[in-house]
Amino acid sequence: MNTIDQVDRTLLQQLFSAATQDASAAMCRWTNGQISLTLDEISELPIEEVSCSLDLGDSLLTMVALTLQGELGGTMLLTFDEQNGRDLAASLLNRPRAISPEWTELERSALNETGNILGCAYMNALTRFLDAELIPSPPYFLQDFGASVLEQALMTQALNCDTATICRTTFRREDRALDWNVLFLPTQALRDRLVNCVAE
Amino acid sequence: MPCATLAEPVCHQAGMGKIVLATGPGTITTVLGSCVGIAIFHPRTHQGLLAHVVLPSSSGRVATPGKFADTAVPDMLKQLASLGICDSSLIVKIAGGSNMFGLPAGPMQVGESNLAAVEAALAKAKLRIAGRHVGGNKGRRVTLDCQAGSYRVEVVGADVVIL
Repeated sequence: MNTIDQVDRTLLQQLFSAATQDASAAMCRWTNGQISLTLDEISELPIEEVSCSLDLGDSLLTMVALTLQGELGGTMLLTFDEQNGRDLAASLLNRPRAISPEWTELERSALNETGNILGCAYMNALTRFLDAELIPSPPYFLQDFGASVLEQALMTQALNCDTATICRTTFRREDRALDWNVLFLPTQALRDRLVNCVAE
Repeated sequence: MPCATLAEPVCHQAGMGKIVLATGPGTITTVLGSCVGIAIFHPRTHQGLLAHVVLPSSSGRVATPGKFADTAVPDMLKQLASLGICDSSLIVKIAGGSNMFGLPAGPMQVGESNLAAVEAALAKAKLRIAGRHVGGNKGRRVTLDCQAGSYRVEVVGADVVIL
């Protein structure tokens, strides 16, 4: 796998910024204007360093995962801190925050739908650019060690190469940054296709 | 005469693709998803190794030996041999190999492939697996205690298991 040079990285940054803007608009509509997204960075790291770099480690995280099947594949992970995740679910459901320590089925559905909306907006933007269909899986709710989930998400990349491309997006509620992230980990094939498209 | 202060046991981290060697009372810990953690312990010298295996087969790829099941096991034995440990009293335990997203069969089912490859590599080296906590769809935090030789497995929402 060829590493991304600085020019291509800049062009990819522009592409993913545009996709993030679409996802941000969708998130604003979904949350009645409360929450927006901005692209944080695109990085290319040895697979073994990803977990340390993202500082997921053995923290327990609430996450929604979507996978892209097929040759142009990848994984999108939406990660939340517990408190804000449950506040979001309560806001979406228009009811007080649940007091049970376990997430209710409705709360999980609200977060899954959030992941679905974000994922579809993101993928629709990339689809328009690539002129190739990217279809995310149904969302999958997880509460687990962040590094465990990240390992699975990295597997399609690890099968063929020693580095991973990671697009990291951060969330804001009005003026305040939230401890949430969207991580998009494209497969080598998707990443190469994107690089080729931006380079043309 | 003041008492000597006992040093805190060192806790080592075994990142993806790494093999970490430690001596008791030190510990080695890592977090596993689809990867497999191979713990090898020598009870007499309290030497322990933990390999964080990412993929089943190197297929000729050059990388850190701990990354692949077929290179991790030989490298672990080589490290022990360099310490003069070649006897048959090694205790081996494995954990991990989950399918985190609950996906049907396909390339994302690497957890199962990792497990099969690790078991094959250990069998090839004539090492018997004394304990295992594998499969499922949850992550694991594992800790090898190089003094006691125990392999602690923590899973969210479940009781701690000591292998």
